Amino acid sequence: MAAEGAQAPQPGQAPPPEPVVPVASAPDDVLRVEHIAKRFGPVTALRDVNLHLRKGEVLGLLGDNGAGKSTLIKIISGFQKQDAGRMFVRGQPYEPKSVDDARAKGVDTVYQDLALIDELSVYHNLFLRRERVLRPLPLLNNREMKREARRALDEIGINIPRIDVSVARLSGGQRQAIAVARTVNSDADIILLDEPLAAMGAKEGAQILDLVARLKAEGRVSIIMILHNYVQVFQACDRVSMIQDGTIVLDKPTAETSVEELTKIVVDEYRRARLAAQG
Amino acid sequence: MASVAQEPASREPGGPEGPAQERRALPGWRAVGARLLALREGSIIVITIVTAIYFSVNTSNFFTGENLETLLPYFAPFAILAAGEVFVMILGEIDLSIAGLYLFAPILFYKLNTSVGLSLVPAVIVALLACMAVGAINGVFVSVVGVNSFVVTLGMLFTFEGLSLIISKGTPVATPGGQPPLGTFGKVFGGGTYSELIWAVAIVVILQIVLMFSRWGVYTVAIGSNKLGASEAGVRVNLVMIRNYMLCSLTAGLVGVFEAVRSATVQPNPAGPNEILFLAVAAAVIGGTLLTGGSGTVVGALIGALFLGILKDGLILQGVQATYLLFYTGLAVIVAMTANVFVGRVRRGQTGGG
Repeated sequence: MAAEGAQAPQPGQAPPPEPVVPVASAPDDVLRVEHIAKRFGPVTALRDVNLHLRKGEVLGLLGDNGAGKSTLIKIISGFQKQDAGRMFVRGQPYEPKSVDDARAKGVDTVYQDLALIDELSVYHNLFLRRERVLRPLPLLNNREMKREARRALDEIGINIPRIDVSVARLSGGQRQAIAVARTVNSDADIILLDEPLAAMGAKEGAQILDLVARLKAEGRVSIIMILHNYVQVFQACDRVSMIQDGTIVLDKPTAETSVEELTKIVVDEYRRARLAAQG
Repeated sequence: MASVAQEPASREPGGPEGPAQERRALPGWRAVGARLLALREGSIIVITIVTAIYFSVNTSNFFTGENLETLLPYFAPFAILAAGEVFVMILGEIDLSIAGLYLFAPILFYKLNTSVGLSLVPAVIVALLACMAVGAINGVFVSVVGVNSFVVTLGMLFTFEGLSLIISKGTPVATPGGQPPLGTFGKVFGGGTYSELIWAVAIVVILQIVLMFSRWGVYTVAIGSNKLGASEAGVRVNLVMIRNYMLCSLTAGLVGVFEAVRSATVQPNPAGPNEILFLAVAAAVIGGTLLTGGSGTVVGALIGALFLGILKDGLILQGVQATYLLFYTGLAVIVAMTANVFVGRVRRGQTGGG
């Protein structure tokens, strides 16, 4: 099913040759990413990334800082364009021209910075870019947005006491929940979560993971989630992909791997990097 | 004057932020005060009323029809200019070029009418379109090219003040349609006693509605509050910014034409427009729009302009010498802004928990 990850190199080995990564796939993929590469001037952010997301699954994306996770997310979400490689959504070629375009194709993202507008109310944030307007005058239908926002938040089980206050007044967990609710509410069926648990207390983090579990149980959406904490990966994800140095080095169902294996890959990489640094 | 000050106050019941529980808990005047302060414009409304009361107690003829007519040109043009500027300031940017276009629009209007031979209304429309084109250029430089807005619009300010001098050859210009006896055109475009007031109220009401109840307004606030976030959410940031600069330039050109018609001539001297620019920005800031962006109010800008107008008018009525006027205005602005910050703090403390 899932393609075998590249072999973890032994410590002390010379820097490995360019790995030829096989394209990963499964029959029920909703998203497939093939040979994606991206450079920013002299910096190679992504070398050769192959990734796939099956219908209804939660895929954990791991990797060191600067490994290319966020770049990959931004390319899939239509915010940036890749230099090379192809993507497919539900088997169709997928070339998002913009965030709006990606969203129209069912791919939506919760960014690390949440893209929330502090000065706007909860419901205006929930409906940002999808505002309901009255006819014939193009004025906002605040009443309907409030009602729909309340229903949407109730549906996914988020408790926000007041939805007409600005989001600046909410806690980190509530803000994250609203950002997630915004994507879920947008009818997206492929959702990318960029470090949803960053800067969040254990209790708030658990609430977000509960939310992800509920979405998974519903089975409507497929989720890619960038995480740092391995325990959370095993708690929330069906499968885990690890990105290192701009390419995927591991891709396994969480049931077939372990915290030890993930740790070993990271430690090996660290040793290799130190060795390289020492010349 | 009083009726203008009432205007925004009567808007509150429909306001979205009325703290319902507090309203019931507090009786009578305290409830009115609490609701007033819950508004973003609350503090400047209070300060403007206090200023008006001060001058009506200390001068004999403040609340007279005559004085109202004197007061109008002291604030209506600034209210319109500030309304446009608010849309740029909420973005976290600034537009200094409004002084240039304020001077340029009536001179271009004059040229189009006298040299090109366009009749009055088409000439005004073409002149205003030219202003909007300049605004679009401002917007492109600020958003797409990414040059600092202070620098770009300062450059545009000099450019268009210079262009105005070149076109007019440095000599005063007689405004077409502004010569007595005034026709319909002159009365509508600034010459009539209440013309600018009506324009100001209409523009402020429309732009406040746009700001609070349209996508355009929501996106403007979104960009000023979190530009990256807004673009990640799919807001077309550049488009909104260019549009806001075009709006700001349009109001500048419009006020330029109004004032040219009202005074029958255009003096191609940048000093006047530059002072008007500062007063317009001051009106917006005093009214509660942040220079740092993310928050602002058009109605507040109107009240800020009204405050500055009342201040100038009141000081003159009190018999302050012309040479002292600017000095006292400066001190009063500092005092008013300090009071504004203080009242704002009370306001936030009061509604903070909500």
